[in-house]
Amino acid sequence: MSVTVKLPRVLTQAVTTGPRHQAEGETLGEVLESLFADEPGLRNHLLDETGAIRPHVLVFVDAAQADLDTPVGPGSQVQVLQAVSGG
Amino acid sequence: MMRILVGSEKGAYLLDESSPGWRVEGPLFPGWKVTAFGRAPDGTHLAGVGSNWFGVGVHHSDNLVDWKPADSPPAWPEGSGRKMEQIWTFHGSGDRLYAGVAQAGLFTSADGGMTWDPVDGLNEHPTRDGWFPGAGGLCTHRILEGNESMWVGISAVGVFRSDDDGSTWIPKNDGIPSVDTPEDGERPEIGYCVHGLAHDPANPERIWRQDHQGMFRSTDAGDNWERIEEGLPAGFGFVIWRHADSGRLFTIPLESSENRVPVDGNLRVYASDDEGDSWSVAGAGWPDAPQFTAVLRRAFDGTADGAFCFGTSGGDLWLTRDLGETWERLGPSFPRIATIRLIA
Repeated sequence: MSVTVKLPRVLTQAVTTGPRHQAEGETLGEVLESLFADEPGLRNHLLDETGAIRPHVLVFVDAAQADLDTPVGPGSQVQVLQAVSGG
Repeated sequence: MMRILVGSEKGAYLLDESSPGWRVEGPLFPGWKVTAFGRAPDGTHLAGVGSNWFGVGVHHSDNLVDWKPADSPPAWPEGSGRKMEQIWTFHGSGDRLYAGVAQAGLFTSADGGMTWDPVDGLNEHPTRDGWFPGAGGLCTHRILEGNESMWVGISAVGVFRSDDDGSTWIPKNDGIPSVDTPEDGERPEIGYCVHGLAHDPANPERIWRQDHQGMFRSTDAGDNWERIEEGLPAGFGFVIWRHADSGRLFTIPLESSENRVPVDGNLRVYASDDEGDSWSVAGAGWPDAPQFTAVLRRAFDGTADGAFCFGTSGGDLWLTRDLGETWERLGPSFPRIATIRLIA
């Protein structure tokens, strides 16, 4: 199913198009893999060396904080937040 | 027409002298640290960027203004336990490209920097478990090659040389005091904090080394090092650059490891015209007012026609167009400058 993924502005420099993307999948992990197929340069910015979401990055599915196993539904909105730590 | 790429803590900037004064384009990569510039074998420009939150990236450009991300920047394999913290340097070698990174490692690309493979001979070196970071991190920041050998500088580990196309690497630090071993203690194999390297391309066995412990020279491809500090106000610093045709050397001394600013605030480039046997202040144009700022280990670049530019941690740019006879401080200032690229 198709979902919308919205990236923070700082990450638009790591993609070839703008901040809004369409991706496919039934979990957040599948959606991100679908996104990475179109935008391979993004993988390293969202996932760390262990394949997990980076420690200081939050991803929300329909306004709820999500992990890679979180299910997504038809028309879900996936939002990657700007950095959530620092001064 | 000269152009200067400035990589800083907060984005990159392109200075263009084609119009009166300097026109500044930027920030490029807003929100990202820009830590390295390079050229792919086909001439494409490269930028290494990083973020405390989003990791590192490599970008490509044909015109220095429009940049596209690489498919995959250098990355440590899953399960390695290492983090990819920063891209420190790019080095072109024939049809291959190398990248030095932190946490310390060397990667190579056969497709112009779109994808990268680790150089295991160095990255998995038998001494690896003893590699520990200094104040600048644990980083591979300099790559030299010549006479079918390659040298890398790793802070705070030391210089390594490979004579077999990167398959095996030998530490080359004899004559350098280690960072934390007493003079009468047994010399460790690693633990030497190289800050900068330069060599003579026509005779690559002659190498100059700005080290945490002072300024040194090797005449035998790094097998032995001798101290060369006559005329310098301090041995500490990060910069060593050599002009290929004239052999003139530049360095920028800082007071000490504990106090990383010019001695008495006298920001000066020191030059040597005798292979480093002696040093003196290069040229004129230096400010009377004290400049308590530093020049970091990749924040300089020079060209074959005698231009040399350096940037300070305070964000200023200094330029000579005549191999150090006259110096000018350029008008624009920037965030903390990490790297410089001169494009003639």
